[in-house]
Amino acid sequence: MESDEGDEQQQEAERLPLSQRPEWSDVTPIPQDDGPNPVVPIAYKPEFSETMSYFRAVYYSDERSSRSFQLTKEAICLNPGNYTVWHFRRQIIETLHTDLQDELAFVGRIAKSNSKNYQHHRRWVAEKLGTGAVNKELQFTKKMLSLDAKNYHAWSYRQWVLQALGGWEDELDYCQILLGEDIFNNSAWNQRYFVVTRSPLLGGLIAMRDSEVNFTIEAILGNPENESPWRYLRGLYKDDTESWINDPRISSVCLKVLSTKSNYVFALSTLLDLICHGFRPSEEFREAINALNTPDSGPLDSDLGRAICRVLECVDPLRCNYWLWRKSKLPLTVSSQ
Amino acid sequence: MEPATENEWDRLSSSSSDGEEQAASDGSSSQFNRQQHVAFLMMMYESLPHHYQYQEINRITLAHFAISGLCLLGALDRVRVDKDAVSDWVLSLKAHPREFYGFHGSPSSQLHPDDNGVLMHNGSNLASTYCALAILKAVGYNFANIDSKSILTSMRNLQQHDGSFMPIHFGAEKDLRFVYCAAAICFLLEDWSGMDRERAKAYILNCQSYDGGFGLTPGSESHGGGTYCAVASLRLMGFIEDNVLSKNMSSSIIDLPLLLSWCLQRQAADGGFQGRANKPSDTCYAFWIGSVLRMLGGYNLIDKEALRGFLLTCQSQYGGFGKCPGDLPDLYHSFYGYTAFSLLEEPGLNPLCAELGMTEFSALGI
Repeated sequence: MESDEGDEQQQEAERLPLSQRPEWSDVTPIPQDDGPNPVVPIAYKPEFSETMSYFRAVYYSDERSSRSFQLTKEAICLNPGNYTVWHFRRQIIETLHTDLQDELAFVGRIAKSNSKNYQHHRRWVAEKLGTGAVNKELQFTKKMLSLDAKNYHAWSYRQWVLQALGGWEDELDYCQILLGEDIFNNSAWNQRYFVVTRSPLLGGLIAMRDSEVNFTIEAILGNPENESPWRYLRGLYKDDTESWINDPRISSVCLKVLSTKSNYVFALSTLLDLICHGFRPSEEFREAINALNTPDSGPLDSDLGRAICRVLECVDPLRCNYWLWRKSKLPLTVSSQ
Repeated sequence: MEPATENEWDRLSSSSSDGEEQAASDGSSSQFNRQQHVAFLMMMYESLPHHYQYQEINRITLAHFAISGLCLLGALDRVRVDKDAVSDWVLSLKAHPREFYGFHGSPSSQLHPDDNGVLMHNGSNLASTYCALAILKAVGYNFANIDSKSILTSMRNLQQHDGSFMPIHFGAEKDLRFVYCAAAICFLLEDWSGMDRERAKAYILNCQSYDGGFGLTPGSESHGGGTYCAVASLRLMGFIEDNVLSKNMSSSIIDLPLLLSWCLQRQAADGGFQGRANKPSDTCYAFWIGSVLRMLGGYNLIDKEALRGFLLTCQSQYGGFGKCPGDLPDLYHSFYGYTAFSLLEEPGLNPLCAELGMTEFSALGI
């Protein structure tokens, strides 16, 4: 049976009050009991109040019928945030054994106009359907993400699907596509990290590190002002600072960006972090920083860490206090000539 | 949140000019329009426009924003709020003994017990319970009269094996928000029997992302709200000491330098705070991220002037704050706008307890 998408819109346009529907004539609605002095009372619209009053009636009597099922749909369309209604709907589904595929379609329609609140219910249905639901659920989240590629709820649901039901095969490719569309999409970078570190089909972080470093460096060179790949690069060496400071590609990309003399704030801060963790920069780094010729920086400090902080105070003024603080935390070194 | 229509806000602006201090007619001015904000909150307290019906189930949260907001603005004692009526209303939402004995979000999910006095339908949840306690603190209710034991004992059932919390007994999302609510509830009730702190800590640590911020669940993208919930919970549970940035950071259970760097990078070129990298600034993150920095002892590292400037562009001429510059105001962004100005030590605003999201004197029960 084709989905009744038009049905919901039709209902809104021609809604007959429940009090006038013969199939509901035997039910006494339960009005909301707001008490004598309600705080933040809401000026409910009549159809909202009425629907909820009838909902309370069937919920209270625990009537798990098809008319109750229909009513939960109306209540959800009016108020998708009400988890009590979703919960009762699930209880009805268990009792009546309504079609789960139809249910996924229903949740999908709700999700389109209301990008929160649907997750738990969708998850519950998907769990009942089991691994057979994988493709549909990945498709569903893909659709949500095509509307908003950073939708937090869609991403967290997608992560649940992968971990609970599988379907990792194309996930790295999917991240690649999204990053191709928008290299600044931090959610896609995060998903990439998720796949690289958790996919049972890949070798794990250390096995993937090499190719990931290369990919990330390309992204950095393309847009050095983009925070995401810089963070990702650091993340590839999580819990392994030694390897991080010893990978020549890291310091090398900092140097490359510095040499362009533009968009070098992250290059500088990364270099500072490297130095703080024990990296010993060669003369070319000092020369590159010298060549930046930033105003007000005065003669370059003999301690490269301090010099970097002073440049950052100028070129990243929003975080001036932070760079001053970083400078104050630098270990005192015997400055070499 | 659903934006209001211009018509609804006309109603507000016509009744908001109370008192001698007139705010500039252009709301996005160089001043924090305290008078106007008080008027805005009072309007909300008395009646919420119908588009708030979508948040019906969390009405107690809206009440918290209104009442705690008035408290922050130093206005609670001076407006037409009957504190006893407020506490009565809040207490009327307390669930009766069964499953989680917390508070409901609204009367809509609250049904009377059946003829045998059994409450079959318990929609009480952790978030509502936190808000209920916050409101009761704001109006100075005596906590000795609260049945803490029933709340705390039943709350343990909501904690999952991995340390996270479900908000409600019949199942829902499990994430850091509810860990935070649980920790705040235990802290306010001065009793940690409601949760296994070690397990909760383990879950929180799993939520720290590769970039230093915290996601709402392990593996998810680092996010301002998630980061707040993580750090505030650890602070409340006693796992992060005061002013930790001025102490030995290497002994911290979380990657502090990376967290600090991530938080400070969230201040965008327009002066506002973003919730995630490469996203637009939003009023509320001035609280979520600002509070994290305050809790760690690093609030002075931000550019306060730039932040203030951004927030004032989100200030509405009708009172209240919107999400982005020029947006119409809503209760949520208004409340977090006030907390943000409190962190900025705006004159006339009460000091904030960052860990609890309420005024310091409410938290201390003064």
